[in-house]
Amino acid sequence: MSVTINIPIFLQAFAGDKDSHQVEGKTVGEALNNLVHSYPDMKKLIFDKQGNLLTYIGIYLNAKDAYPDELSKPVNDGDVIHVLMLIAGG
Amino acid sequence: MLREEELQRYARQIMIPGIGVEGQEKLKRAKVVVAGGGGLGSPIAIYLAVAGVGTIRIIDRDVVELTNLNRQVLHWQKDIGRRKVDSAAEKLGHLNHDIVIDPVAESMEESNIDRLVTGFDVIVDATDNLPTRFLLNEAAIRRRIPFIHGAVRGFEGRVTTIVPGQTACLRCIYRGPLPQEKTPVIGVTPAVVGCLQATEAIKYIAGIGQLLANQLLVYDGLKMRFTTLTIRQDPDCPACGAGEVKT
Repeated sequence: MSVTINIPIFLQAFAGDKDSHQVEGKTVGEALNNLVHSYPDMKKLIFDKQGNLLTYIGIYLNAKDAYPDELSKPVNDGDVIHVLMLIAGG
Repeated sequence: MLREEELQRYARQIMIPGIGVEGQEKLKRAKVVVAGGGGLGSPIAIYLAVAGVGTIRIIDRDVVELTNLNRQVLHWQKDIGRRKVDSAAEKLGHLNHDIVIDPVAESMEESNIDRLVTGFDVIVDATDNLPTRFLLNEAAIRRRIPFIHGAVRGFEGRVTTIVPGQTACLRCIYRGPLPQEKTPVIGVTPAVVGCLQATEAIKYIAGIGQLLANQLLVYDGLKMRFTTLTIRQDPDCPACGAGEVKT
């Protein structure tokens, strides 16, 4: 399946300032792993050492919150994944 | 009942379908907490004040520092060292002498948060850290007061409107601690996000339009894009669902 991952501002520097990237994958997890395979410096900003999503990362599949079990959610051709870093500045 | 001077002051917004004299009177009767008197709190308080929100409680324990002045537009060079709530109250009073500004120079804590928000119609989140945002979120849920959340970092921002009992709450979105950091920010970002929060507050009070309920608005100032994502109430949420708050 070919899906688009929208890359948040804080990760765009690791992707040559691109704000989206096409990847293959059958699940959200596979798609994200393929993203960090292309841009390895992103990995530690999305996943912890056990491969779980960091607590401040939100995943939205086709603009809908994918929580819980985000990484195992299946994806279809043309789906869009938003990776969001939660922020709290004021 | 609006006085002649008020009818003149608000004439241009009274013309807006859905506001009218009735909506303006609702704004006049409204009591809003602006939790934080900094980057977000400045535009929120300014635009609520000029819109004629009758009572604005602004809560902030801090004093004005030089490093605040790139974004906290209620505070000026001359205010350095002054309590933010006093600086804010002075400017807001000059903007609109027909409204009540209630400055509260207290730290928001578990022990006082309910007292600080009870009796108010809306809470607008203009704080700069997650623990205080959670305190406000939980108080809003307990007191069933709508809670308009906004947050910024760099050129990006978020807004959502939480209606207790009807929508996802802050803990449905923020599920864990954020990295400790001094947040990078440029003044235009809280200006945009704060104005969006003030818009939500005005719409809620006047009973017009559609709120950002169960929606997270994501603002990307660098690409100049707004994206709306659908959020949902987590049945196991420790604040609004069946889960327990981890302290």
